[in-house]
Amino acid sequence: MLRESGFLRRLRKELPVWVQQGWVRPGSEQQILDHAAAHRGPGVRYLPLAFSILGVLLLGAGVITFFAANWSVMPKVAKLTLVFGSMGLAYAGAGTALKYREAPQLGEALLLLGVILFGSNIMLIAQIYHIDAHYPNGVLLWALGGMVTAYLMHSQPAMIAGIALAVLWTGMETFGFDRSLHWPFLILWASCLPAIHKNRWMPASHVAMIGLLLWSWFAFQHLIWSAHAWGSGVPLYLMQIYFLASLGIFVLGMVMATDRQLASFGVVVKRYAAFAALVSFCALTFPDLQRGLEWRAGSGRLHGTAPGLWVIVTVVVLLIVVGLAVWHRIRTTGMERPAYLNWGSGLLGLGIAVVLANLFLSGEHGGEVAVVFNLLFLAGLVWLVYAGMHANDRFLVNAAFLFFGLGLLSRYFDTFWTLLNRSYFFMAGGLLLIGGGYLLEKQRRKLTARMQGAQAQGGRP
Amino acid sequence: MRITLRLIILIVLQFVVLASMIAMKQWTLSTGTPIVLETEPIDPRSLFQGDYVRLNYTISTLRLAELSSDRPFKEHERIYVLVRNGDPYWEPVSLHHERPGLPPDHVTLKGTVIRAGNRRWNRQSQSWEATEHLMVRYGIENYFVPEGEGRDLERLKPGEKISIRVAVDQFGNAGIKAVLVNGQPRYTETLF
Repeated sequence: MLRESGFLRRLRKELPVWVQQGWVRPGSEQQILDHAAAHRGPGVRYLPLAFSILGVLLLGAGVITFFAANWSVMPKVAKLTLVFGSMGLAYAGAGTALKYREAPQLGEALLLLGVILFGSNIMLIAQIYHIDAHYPNGVLLWALGGMVTAYLMHSQPAMIAGIALAVLWTGMETFGFDRSLHWPFLILWASCLPAIHKNRWMPASHVAMIGLLLWSWFAFQHLIWSAHAWGSGVPLYLMQIYFLASLGIFVLGMVMATDRQLASFGVVVKRYAAFAALVSFCALTFPDLQRGLEWRAGSGRLHGTAPGLWVIVTVVVLLIVVGLAVWHRIRTTGMERPAYLNWGSGLLGLGIAVVLANLFLSGEHGGEVAVVFNLLFLAGLVWLVYAGMHANDRFLVNAAFLFFGLGLLSRYFDTFWTLLNRSYFFMAGGLLLIGGGYLLEKQRRKLTARMQGAQAQGGRP
Repeated sequence: MRITLRLIILIVLQFVVLASMIAMKQWTLSTGTPIVLETEPIDPRSLFQGDYVRLNYTISTLRLAELSSDRPFKEHERIYVLVRNGDPYWEPVSLHHERPGLPPDHVTLKGTVIRAGNRRWNRQSQSWEATEHLMVRYGIENYFVPEGEGRDLERLKPGEKISIRVAVDQFGNAGIKAVLVNGQPRYTETLF
């Protein structure tokens, strides 16, 4: 009952926006609400699923500890019977539950148990037969097992497990075997997208975006450490590329939002891309990064201008971002174009110019470049607040406020750490946190409340 | 497609993957050339399933000055090690990037370079020695034993010597056939 009424409340809030976006015919809101109210389910649906998944995890843990306690006394045939039998039983149970449609949640949970057992069986067979191969391959096989289960059985939990395992696999390859840019992960990741789109799996789309961000973070970390050249400016150029790539994905999310089929996924893409773009842009506002990290380490060395390869890579990524922005503009031609999009384009152009110019500046201009990046960062945050309000996306507004606070705190540390006596520094910092935090939170609540109010009335904030 | 059919495809696919893991290992063990390698077990560790013994072979560390090789080798790179029948253990002859041709009484072991260094700890002299060397993994470094028996293998009685009988197939893949103590099998691998 709780879930249904919550659903209706949400529907009532969302419908005016859907009408305004043109996704729902004007005047049909009440019919949709009546239909949804008339087809209320018999009760709570998430509880059986939660209990089933919890039960599956407990059962899985029990099976593994049972094996552990009795493993050495079992003959090989008994071990193999257990390995294959347990997995077969889990899938057979899932099939029965799904086929007769009496307990679909239990069916989903048993499919997940099958995937868990498939993975533990890979490890157990490796142990029984002393197979000591390249160990990430075992995790890759497991991830593929999860994805195949998701495709064949239309199971979202199996897809989520598959993506999570693929992330584990790429982490092992990157850090355990020095593969800086582990491209094969992207093939696996992309192969999940058709099923996520076709089945409208929103939780899986979140996990997929988190997986992509983690992969890019692994690659970023490893590229920086393997470069062994702190003074060369590699961290700076890489951070700029990371920012541009995140920006590109954000614009792609905007393009997706213009398509009826992809609009809901566009929101997810925009959120995670905005987060990654904010993190990287926030890093670019640090003068130490702009000067070269060896300078900070006390050697006094500043990085020089960027080598040709970094210029080429940055320009290619820039062209992709511009291409995506043009695509978005083409798709929104003839539609009402809010002003924030126009000055957003101007901001994008300015950002691109600064990023490009930075490639040809050495570390001695790091301080001045950092000031420009700080100004752009602030302007970008204001733009994000507008974009969030326009799209009724509170996540974007909250993220903008969070990063504004972080930026403010970083600049305070940068500027006053060496200038003030430590006790004054901490006292002033405390006051800044209390006062600034209060004001920021007040402003954020005001804006999000305005958005909520406008949403309820079906208008734009 | 009906649920039952999809489920059958899923079960068959996953069973085939697991069965092929066993089949590939058994193929190496049944068709491979048996060789005996000198080793010393180190650091038995308890996994949740039982104990396993980490095996440190004499050919796990290869001194480049003593062997002919297609240098250089990088970490995580594939390597082929040509070994010949010695007395009593098989010993390395040369190192290659590609699988070399096989003279009589020789086999090629496929491995991965896990470390390339020029300084190593000599356990006998208890000191560092300057020597250009490669540390190589062949996929036969772990051996699972029943719980509690890992320590027995590590702490052998005086006069006991451990060695491993390994099968090497035509592609250079290796598999442990038996753990030998003083040349006599203590553990032997079977399919079931």
